Amino acid sequence: MTVQAQPSSKMPRFDPVVIAGLVPFLAVLAAWALAPTLSDIPAYKLPPPEKVWSAFTDMTLDGSLPSEIWASLRRLAAGYVLGNLTAIPLGLAIALNRAVAETMTPVLSFFQSIAGIAWVPLAIIWFGVGQGSVLFVIANTIFFSSIYSTVIGVQLIPRVLYRAALCHGASRLDVVTSVVISGALVQILVGLRTSMAYGWRALVAAEMIAGTNGIGYMTLEAVQWYQTEIVILGMILIGILWLALDFLIFRPIEHVTVRRWGLLA
Amino acid sequence: MTAIREPKISIDGVTLVHVNEERRQEHVALENVSLDIGEGEFLCVVGPSGCGKSTLLSAIAGFMKPWTGEIRMNGKAIEGPGADRGVVFQEYALLPWKTVLGNVAIGLKYRRVPKAERERLAREYLAMARLTDAADRFPHELSGGMRQRVAVARTLANTPEIMMMDEPFAAVDAQTRLTLQEELLRVWDEHPITVLFVTHSVEEAVFLADRVAVLTPGPGRLREIVDIGIPREIRQWDSISTDARFLELRDHVMKLVRDPGR
Repeated sequence: MTVQAQPSSKMPRFDPVVIAGLVPFLAVLAAWALAPTLSDIPAYKLPPPEKVWSAFTDMTLDGSLPSEIWASLRRLAAGYVLGNLTAIPLGLAIALNRAVAETMTPVLSFFQSIAGIAWVPLAIIWFGVGQGSVLFVIANTIFFSSIYSTVIGVQLIPRVLYRAALCHGASRLDVVTSVVISGALVQILVGLRTSMAYGWRALVAAEMIAGTNGIGYMTLEAVQWYQTEIVILGMILIGILWLALDFLIFRPIEHVTVRRWGLLA
Repeated sequence: MTAIREPKISIDGVTLVHVNEERRQEHVALENVSLDIGEGEFLCVVGPSGCGKSTLLSAIAGFMKPWTGEIRMNGKAIEGPGADRGVVFQEYALLPWKTVLGNVAIGLKYRRVPKAERERLAREYLAMARLTDAADRFPHELSGGMRQRVAVARTLANTPEIMMMDEPFAAVDAQTRLTLQEELLRVWDEHPITVLFVTHSVEEAVFLADRVAVLTPGPGRLREIVDIGIPREIRQWDSISTDARFLELRDHVMKLVRDPGR
């Protein structure tokens, strides 16, 4: 037998969709690498990729980058749990109970417009610069970007599913556990996902203004020393960390739930 | 043979009104209807859209209350929905997040039947519906016809006093519909139960029913109840579609539906 007999078994197989998705990234990377030769942008404004890479390896080896990433992720996790643990139950209550909806809707609408980094100044006065302020701002952002998904999720459940449950013997509690929560899950997951994206954005912004460590703080801190490579590194990491969180957390959850149930194309 | 049956459901001078709270409009769907459904009877309600036939089913299921009159089951007024009146819906209304087995077992779960027992029962009813192989699949993986068989199995597994079917085969293709009709009669033969079957198809009604109640629209009124004396043995489409009694009854019911005559 010749070596051509089984060429595919050892060859890595690339998903064409993944390759298509990589093209824009490669184009930007190429433009970035070629920029110094094609234009006269000085290196302090746009350091070449290899300089950003070496900043990455240096800061990884001395442990400073992992600790900034860890600080940001821990904060995000705390704000995320806090925000969603209040948003989802309240969203369910609003969707299921007219009195709760009528009481809460105006005040939530009022504060929704202020959600996010508009709270940073007051947060600094209340909690001082540091952990507390940042946590308050991201939990607040996450709460408001998640709650309406839960409400809409319940509202989108076909009425006939409630009737089907009731005429087969469901109690009110059975209806909530067997119809409402699973039925709203598509939108609850949308809320969990978008709230993490918004929370991540708010986190970076809040760290820049009110933080003492973390990726956002690191990025703005580097400006003072004209360490542009660290600024760019920070930005790249923000994007990569988000893609990783999305890919590692939400894709698998979707896969075993709403996609499996045929609720998502 | 239908006259001597005890009434399972008594509909007594019932008027049903849809109220649109936002527009503050009221619409009379059904006016002063009286009708008994006998124990073990297969009653079809037929009529054009707007005759209130599905509304009547909703009221018996307890999803709405009569404006006037009363609906009783076994002599007791109906207060709200309950497991003793299972409904098979046109839209199937299966839970997308439960497997076929989980859907068939859901009523038993609501009624707190222990897990092992409800799985055994659910599998039994799945076998009855010839769906044993689909037990672990999700509803979206099934054809419309299969989904409706799951819905029927779900309702029968819950052993209600009456099974009500709201245009159950209207969303499946014509070929499948004929098969499902025959299959429903086979299953009904094995598991005798009172059935209220709502449809706009005259042929379907005459094929399935012991009696056909004809409703006319605007607002819905009971026009006539037609006895279908065709023996159960010949209720297959191959034999019945040329049967003289079937054709005659079909034409008669059709005439009642098309010509309200008031």
